[in-house]
Amino acid sequence: MSGLFSLVRASAMASKEVRHILRDPFTLGLAIGLPVLLVVFFGAAIDFNVKDIVTVIHDADRSRPSREFAEVFAASGYFRLEGPRPGDGILSRLDAEEAGAALIIPPGFASGLRSGQGAAAQFVLDGADNARAAAILSYLPGVLASANQRVLPLSGAMPEALSPASSLEGGLRLKTRFLYNHELNSRWFTIPGLSVMVLGLLAILLTALTVAREWENGSMELLLSTPVTPLEIIAGKLAPYLALSAAAMALLYLTARLGFSVPFRGSHLLFAGVSLMFLLASLSQGLLISVATRQQQLAMQLSMMTGLLPSLLLSGFIFPVESMPVFFRCFTMLLPPRWFMTACRGIFLKGAGPVELAVPLLALGLLSALLIAAAANRFKRDLEP
Amino acid sequence: MTGRTSAGPAIEVQGLTVRFGDFTAVDRVSFRVEAGEVFGFLGANGAGKTTTIRVLCGLLEPTEGSARVAGFGFEDGGTTIKSRVGYMSQRFTLYNDLSAAENLAFTAGLRRLEPAVLKSRSEELLDFIGFDADQRTLVRDLAAGLKQELSLAASLLHDPEIVFLDEPTAGVSPAGRERFWKLIARLTDKGKTVLVTTHYMDEAEHCGRIALLSAGRLIALDSPGALKSSVFPGPMLELDPGPGSAESLQTLSGAQGVVSLQPHGRRFHLNAQDEASWKALEARLPDSVSARRIKPSLEDVFLRLVEGTVR
Repeated sequence: MSGLFSLVRASAMASKEVRHILRDPFTLGLAIGLPVLLVVFFGAAIDFNVKDIVTVIHDADRSRPSREFAEVFAASGYFRLEGPRPGDGILSRLDAEEAGAALIIPPGFASGLRSGQGAAAQFVLDGADNARAAAILSYLPGVLASANQRVLPLSGAMPEALSPASSLEGGLRLKTRFLYNHELNSRWFTIPGLSVMVLGLLAILLTALTVAREWENGSMELLLSTPVTPLEIIAGKLAPYLALSAAAMALLYLTARLGFSVPFRGSHLLFAGVSLMFLLASLSQGLLISVATRQQQLAMQLSMMTGLLPSLLLSGFIFPVESMPVFFRCFTMLLPPRWFMTACRGIFLKGAGPVELAVPLLALGLLSALLIAAAANRFKRDLEP
Repeated sequence: MTGRTSAGPAIEVQGLTVRFGDFTAVDRVSFRVEAGEVFGFLGANGAGKTTTIRVLCGLLEPTEGSARVAGFGFEDGGTTIKSRVGYMSQRFTLYNDLSAAENLAFTAGLRRLEPAVLKSRSEELLDFIGFDADQRTLVRDLAAGLKQELSLAASLLHDPEIVFLDEPTAGVSPAGRERFWKLIARLTDKGKTVLVTTHYMDEAEHCGRIALLSAGRLIALDSPGALKSSVFPGPMLELDPGPGSAESLQTLSGAQGVVSLQPHGRRFHLNAQDEASWKALEARLPDSVSARRIKPSLEDVFLRLVEGTVR
């Protein structure tokens, strides 16, 4: 009569959850409005673009090509060239944190160009602020490219003559980071990145409280005194919150596109699919926490711990997964946000298709299945006093 | 709904033991409840009443021993038992943010009742409990007594043959408690078996038979009348020390012919061995003390029995 999984029982559970949500305008508003608010707020605040970096210029060559070379830096908008303090060393302003970089053009810059041997200039960078240094480094290839165009004709030398100094090569390596972001607009990746973080956390929090609340309210006894199975309870709790968080996701998408003009080059259907998979995985993570803790407060703390920091630090949002130690690179595979971050950037900026996204999709599906199975398994049918 | 095949006992418990780690909550308890009985569970907090009930509702598997409810055991993890019994927990288990009708509909959904069955059953049950508020009222806005009665209705939706009520009247006004016990009486009129726990000794008088639990053990099991006469065969007296001091009465405890002496507020309940020994005792009482013959209450029985096992 009562099989392993009864749709009637699961949907009774789901419609009850829907009523809880509708009766609680605070949660409803929180779920729908807060993500947009957070992404807009922090999206406006976080700007990885660095402009007007005070750059100390020391031109020992004082030739026309060297002046032109410095002019290219200034014209890029990223660097504001200023002279060193009289009587001080070139780098003293960097020590004093008055400047972020220094451009040193050695004597013989112009003659090197003319002779065809190439010319080297030194670019010194304050590496104390990693994110800033990375941003500055990423501008250099572009600046060098336009320098090659403008300075070389002046000297009448071979096109490849102006070679970057060794300190500039670090910047070339980071080129991939902005490969699909030609305007080097950091918002294009901070907005999707922030969305992943905020939604992931929201999804975990939404379900983390639901099972724990049943335990604390005593209603778990009602559930357990009926033939309802853990899987039916879990399914009945997942479905409404999946719909709710999908609505939040849609709103975030509109905010990103309309509010921040983030381009979208991929398929909307694919984006919807991978979003649902991500939300399902995060909601399941929340349910597992709720089932295991049985206390709302503990569930809340665990959700923050497992939902916030990993998605901030290990998802590849801020720090590229590729540059993590092997252990952490493997560890990130267990994190739903890491896969969704990859998928999001792929769909938004690169127009990635199902083939490119097969791995993230598969990983998210596998994680969801594992988390749901773990939650159903951990679900205690026994009541202890 | 398929009926029971045999007309055996509603509940049969043999050597039931439930342990949580090192703690033994229920210790080798055996009893039988016949169909149609109102069976009371009495005992202090932690005596094992709730744990026993949870086993009988299929919520908890016995560590040792066996329990058969409506003829079914734990072969399927208690699922069949769950579909045969109604359970009203001592905690309020309905949802405060749902309406009365929504709570009933939810419970019906979990028990896979057809919408038509839900409709006729909830009408019948709301009428039974005398629910006079709007069904769309949120449960949090209902009075405490009404909430308990709605809980009862929810546990009866699927028309169970056995109903377990765990302290159903806790926190309910005296008038509400009386009403609730009338409902219990009407349930047995309809042929249901009711197993009920209570803290209130006066309520226990409504039960056909009472099981007394102490520290997980079953220490007595009989009808209220039989319990009283077996525990207190001699006369029971209420002594009022009057304006005099209570100390003069304290000296009675341990005196010849005194079975027990229990303080009840300012007064004392004295149980004498027999009429002859009471005559002898009465002669020795100070003049200020007035004595009145009373019937032993279940509370007296309870205190006497628990005292006997603990010491």
